[in-house]
Amino acid sequence: MEAASITETASAPPPARKVGDVLNAYALPLLLFGALLAQFIYEPTGTLENVKTGLSNGMVWALIALGYTLVYGIVELINFAHGEVFMIGAFVALSLWQTFGVTESTGLALIVVSIIAFLVASMGASATLNVLIERAAYRPLRNAPKLAPLITAIGMSFILQNVGLLWRPTPDQVPDLIGSHSVYFTIFKVDVLHSDVFAVVVTVPLLIGLLWFVGSTKYGKAMRATAQDPDAARLMGIDVDRTISLTFLLGGLMAGAAGLIYALYNLTVRFNMGFTAGLIAFTAAVMGGIGNLKGAVIGGLIIGVIQAVSDGGNFLGLPLGEAWTPAVVFAILILVMVFRPQGLFGEETREG
Amino acid sequence: MRFLASLRSGRDTVTGMIPGWVLAVVLIVFAVIFPYLVGSGSFLDASTQTLAYVIMALGLNIVVGFAGLLDLGYVAFYAIGAFVIGWFGSQQFPDVNGGKGIHILASDRATFQPKLSGGRLDIAGIHINFFIVLFIAMAITALWGVLLGAPTLRLRGDYLAIVTLAFGEIVPRVFENSTSGLFGIGSTDFSHGRQGITPIDKINLPWSHDLLYSDANLKPAYWVALGMVFFTIFVNRRLRDSRLGRAWIAVREDEVAAASMGINLVRTKLWAYAIGAAFGGFAGVFLGTYNNTVNVDQFEFGFSVFILAMVIVGGMGNIWGVIVGAVALSMMNRYGLPQLNSLSEPLGFDVTSISFGIFGFFLLIMMVLRPEGLIPSGRRRLELREAEIEGSEDTGAVGDMSQMYEVRQ
Amino acid sequence: MSDQQQSGGAAVASSPPVGETLMEVTGVSKVFGGLVAVNDVNFIVPRKAIVSLIGPNGAGKTTFFNCLTGLYRPTTGRVNFDGTDITAKRPDIVTQAGIARTFQNIKLFRTMTATENVEVGMHPRLRSRVTGMILRTPFVRREEKAARERAREILSSVGLKRMDELAMNLPYGDQRRLEIARALASEPKLLLLDEPTAGMNPQESEELRTLMERLRTEQDISILLIEHDMKVVMNVSDHITVLDHGEKIAEGSPQEVRQNPRVIEAYLGSQA
Repeated sequence: MEAASITETASAPPPARKVGDVLNAYALPLLLFGALLAQFIYEPTGTLENVKTGLSNGMVWALIALGYTLVYGIVELINFAHGEVFMIGAFVALSLWQTFGVTESTGLALIVVSIIAFLVASMGASATLNVLIERAAYRPLRNAPKLAPLITAIGMSFILQNVGLLWRPTPDQVPDLIGSHSVYFTIFKVDVLHSDVFAVVVTVPLLIGLLWFVGSTKYGKAMRATAQDPDAARLMGIDVDRTISLTFLLGGLMAGAAGLIYALYNLTVRFNMGFTAGLIAFTAAVMGGIGNLKGAVIGGLIIGVIQAVSDGGNFLGLPLGEAWTPAVVFAILILVMVFRPQGLFGEETREG
Repeated sequence: MRFLASLRSGRDTVTGMIPGWVLAVVLIVFAVIFPYLVGSGSFLDASTQTLAYVIMALGLNIVVGFAGLLDLGYVAFYAIGAFVIGWFGSQQFPDVNGGKGIHILASDRATFQPKLSGGRLDIAGIHINFFIVLFIAMAITALWGVLLGAPTLRLRGDYLAIVTLAFGEIVPRVFENSTSGLFGIGSTDFSHGRQGITPIDKINLPWSHDLLYSDANLKPAYWVALGMVFFTIFVNRRLRDSRLGRAWIAVREDEVAAASMGINLVRTKLWAYAIGAAFGGFAGVFLGTYNNTVNVDQFEFGFSVFILAMVIVGGMGNIWGVIVGAVALSMMNRYGLPQLNSLSEPLGFDVTSISFGIFGFFLLIMMVLRPEGLIPSGRRRLELREAEIEGSEDTGAVGDMSQMYEVRQ
Repeated sequence: MSDQQQSGGAAVASSPPVGETLMEVTGVSKVFGGLVAVNDVNFIVPRKAIVSLIGPNGAGKTTFFNCLTGLYRPTTGRVNFDGTDITAKRPDIVTQAGIARTFQNIKLFRTMTATENVEVGMHPRLRSRVTGMILRTPFVRREEKAARERAREILSSVGLKRMDELAMNLPYGDQRRLEIARALASEPKLLLLDEPTAGMNPQESEELRTLMERLRTEQDISILLIEHDMKVVMNVSDHITVLDHGEKIAEGSPQEVRQNPRVIEAYLGSQA
């Protein structure tokens, strides 16, 4: 549990426990899984299809969620602008393809090279942006009441969204470089598309790399130490400012990658895509227990599946559908925050 | 220090030199004769909308400024209030009363349509007089304020903000999707989906069938809104200087101490949510009829932030500061940017499209440079400034805070 | 009521204080995770008495206070106050029942004036309702006026003169005084003071001592005191309870406690 921190209501009592105890570490995941199982019996192929879509979509949420969870873990700030950092990543990738004239008809080798190169570029752009945001908007407020940086973050998010709007006023098509909607293979009657494979192939190494970095390098140790107790970390000779910058950098890297994957996966980008994506990913981070990296990944996958199932329409007789999906995700966000604020999987050390 | 004392003692005169009541009278007179000064054009139109935003900013100020609960979903109450007038002042439910509709002190010319033959009241749908709907909507939104506020009571500041944001997103989605019953129950169309409900009944006095205003003469609409603003200010001031207002500030400053002084935290916070929400609904009813449409596109997260920006820019907790903030931002949005646009448009640049980015910029600048707002309340400034100096003074001050209030509220 | 006093009360007590019981604490423990902060403490506060709770740092005194006032829920045990069971009741209900407290690390409403702080303390004794507040009915008007006057009376009774000063601008001693005034405003039957003389000079401590005596004799208030200043404790207390490592190790009159070998050991041990 984080120490009571720097808000005006510094000594605010902690969130509810009672119902949280009832919905203990296993109850909520089991409930979700049970519902999914019931839906599977009710409609097997459709459900499997949704789970597949959800998992590959969830990869993107997981990458974004990592940015929230890293930053919250270390400075206890909901980085509202993170969704926009993701959007900028997608925009950068698209602009590069447009600039270099890469299209579906470009040769395979060039496409592969462009994807790798621009993945690095969009990751770099998002990371730089994220670090700059921290410098300009959050660092001056490091010791202000907690709500001040949150409001600043909201302001930042709006600014970036409008930058996106000026950059691309209308939704833009992304060249279908990977043949997104073509079937790669079929398993249990479920078509696995190129886009699904692409999302997994790009995301998994990044996730492993990040977990390794935070878990095993000295920079990761500095991050974890700073997350636990910035003052103590400073006394131990850790450069807290640099560590915080590094955290934003890592979050930005992941968001940039997510932007590129999202662009190729959905083949369309829009200036306000970051807002919803950001909230979905934030829900994932909270589900996994904010500050908990593995939790954020699992939370992202769970949210992906929930979203896909809800998009699928009829859920156990409930007339859901795409129009309801945001409400479903937000309802889950509320449920988790109110009843299980430490996340589905109980408490773990931050940055763990 | 004397200056601060004058701010604190409830007489928020700008200079402390002019007696408060003189300033108040001058402002009131100016506000009332204002339409004669500017004529019935787009400036008055913008001013009328601004008055509605002032009401909402004052309502949100109760929650954020007084009680210290950051609410990012205030748009939900605007939506609920607007839908209440949408339901009770339009032809949305054509089948009620066998298609003859229900009319309570409504005008037969409710929607600017040509007068019906002989002034018969047989337009389908529910038509209740605007002034009655105002108070119905206040009651309904207050109730929803309590219902949506209750789950957030024990959350920390930033979590509370996110949960309110989520509610603010859910409420419009529910309206939007309730075109054929609610969650598949029944088949009533509550919202017309994305098209929204339009037209909405215009305002008429309960004893008259004449509409109060027309497109050619917006002055009476302005005065109705102004009257609503006065009512809101009156209630805000009374509450601020009351037992409840003191309790709100006490809760904002230190929940543990407040509870130990016998303040019921749950009740105190729920009152803030209820009253704050009620003013959101109050203004929502007016905007619904004034804009002649109730449409889910109006109820975006950006709107919540827009109102929050008014509260923050003006100075959280200070009634006059919030009014100034609301007037400034709203007039900029409704009038200033469109004016500026006529300059920038030839250059191929649409300033109005980035209005939210501009508000975002204001929020950011205010927080970094002047977190207490333009006209802060004395105490709020001290709190914000002090926290900067003291840093994390409170961190872990009391042994194990996670054990505090481990029990329920 | 008196039955309970007989049965549960004097478990360890060597000389139970005379007088009718105001508060009776039976077997209260508080466990944090694996740490036992308060262990099975029995405790009685008689009416019109000044009772002290002493012990080395970290002995669990403040935790015990928090268990009494509803900030913590005791892991086990019962708290009976003035005939009602207040175990694990919410802090505001405890205060309404007649227990008021101050805090070791001063918790004033820093940006309110001294008078306003005291008015907040009166909260549970005021009867205004929301509609009344908005309409400012004659009743509310009278009540607000009376509250203001009463607040000033209380402030002058604790010797605080700068009544319109912001709490945060008051000197330390005055802040302590203001906390007491704020607590008194709820018209308590029992006042819990958590290290009220910390940071006070000897003269201020002496003034506080006489204030406590006066509250007891003039307003029939019982006082439960956590205090490190032994001079104050020994002079003012009718009865002293000593906690160490969460357990009650001794109790009795100041004289008895002073000579108790376990107490001496606990204190010397903690000094070393």
